[in-house]
Amino acid sequence: MSKDIESEMRAALRPVAPSEEFSQKLVAKVTSRRSAALKPRRVASGWHPLAWWSGAGVAASVVLAVGVHHHLEQQRLQQSGLEARREVLQALRVTSQKLNLAYEAVKSQSTSLIDEQSGA
Amino acid sequence: MNDDSTDYLDQQLEKARSGERAALTLLVQTHQRSVYSLALRMLGTRDLAEDLTQEVFMQMNGNLSAIDSNRHLGFWLRQVTTNRAIDQLRRRARVQMTPLDEETQLFSAEEASDPLLQRHLRALLADLSPAARAVLLLRYQEDLDPVEIARTLDMPLNTVKSHLKRSLETMREKTYATSAPRGQVL
Repeated sequence: MSKDIESEMRAALRPVAPSEEFSQKLVAKVTSRRSAALKPRRVASGWHPLAWWSGAGVAASVVLAVGVHHHLEQQRLQQSGLEARREVLQALRVTSQKLNLAYEAVKSQSTSLIDEQSGA
Repeated sequence: MNDDSTDYLDQQLEKARSGERAALTLLVQTHQRSVYSLALRMLGTRDLAEDLTQEVFMQMNGNLSAIDSNRHLGFWLRQVTTNRAIDQLRRRARVQMTPLDEETQLFSAEEASDPLLQRHLRALLADLSPAARAVLLLRYQEDLDPVEIARTLDMPLNTVKSHLKRSLETMREKTYATSAPRGQVL
């Protein structure tokens, strides 16, 4: 009897196929979803790869411009420092020459005064 | 399913994972009968069965990378279908099963030798609890042994055996207990 009911159950519960229409819709839906899932995703929402590269280019240009500006500013400061040093040295040289002249003048006046006193 | 066809379907699974449409179509066509039949006999109506079948295959799409063989795919599909169906049935108090036989006969590949008895058995199946119904379907529709059923439903083996024994006894009593001719019982 147990065998009977089991074999009847197997017969009663034989798998059934869905309708052809449903089957076609199912395959279409599953495969289209899979294709969509496998398409390469954009970098971020609304970001096209070209836009990403453009953004990266602009950012690199800004960094480069800031770097160049900083370098030129350093060079300018260095130049003006050298110029100031040269001017100071020039001033010292002039001053030194004038002091030498004054010293010479004082020295020659002193010598002639001593000569006059010894002659007298 | 012999070794050659198993190997072939494993290859198709690999191709489906890498996005080959024809391979995915073949896998859906191979398993849709089992999934749809489980859904139909668990939920009782064609509309609900089609909705559940579609949900299960869409979920499969997102899980293909975690499935390592066609055999594993069959296990996974049966597990997801029965669990989802049991959840749906628990959310509803009771399902009307009346349209089931007409639909089954429309699409059944082989006509039953005793269609009235089989209709009667399917009606008795619909009266069982969702868990007991799933156990019987996996046993007699999917031809799984009790150990495989226990794994699929994540249920203790003794509970599976108990469901099988009690459900069959109930069915036997309601089918053969009376001395009346079968036609009158049905």
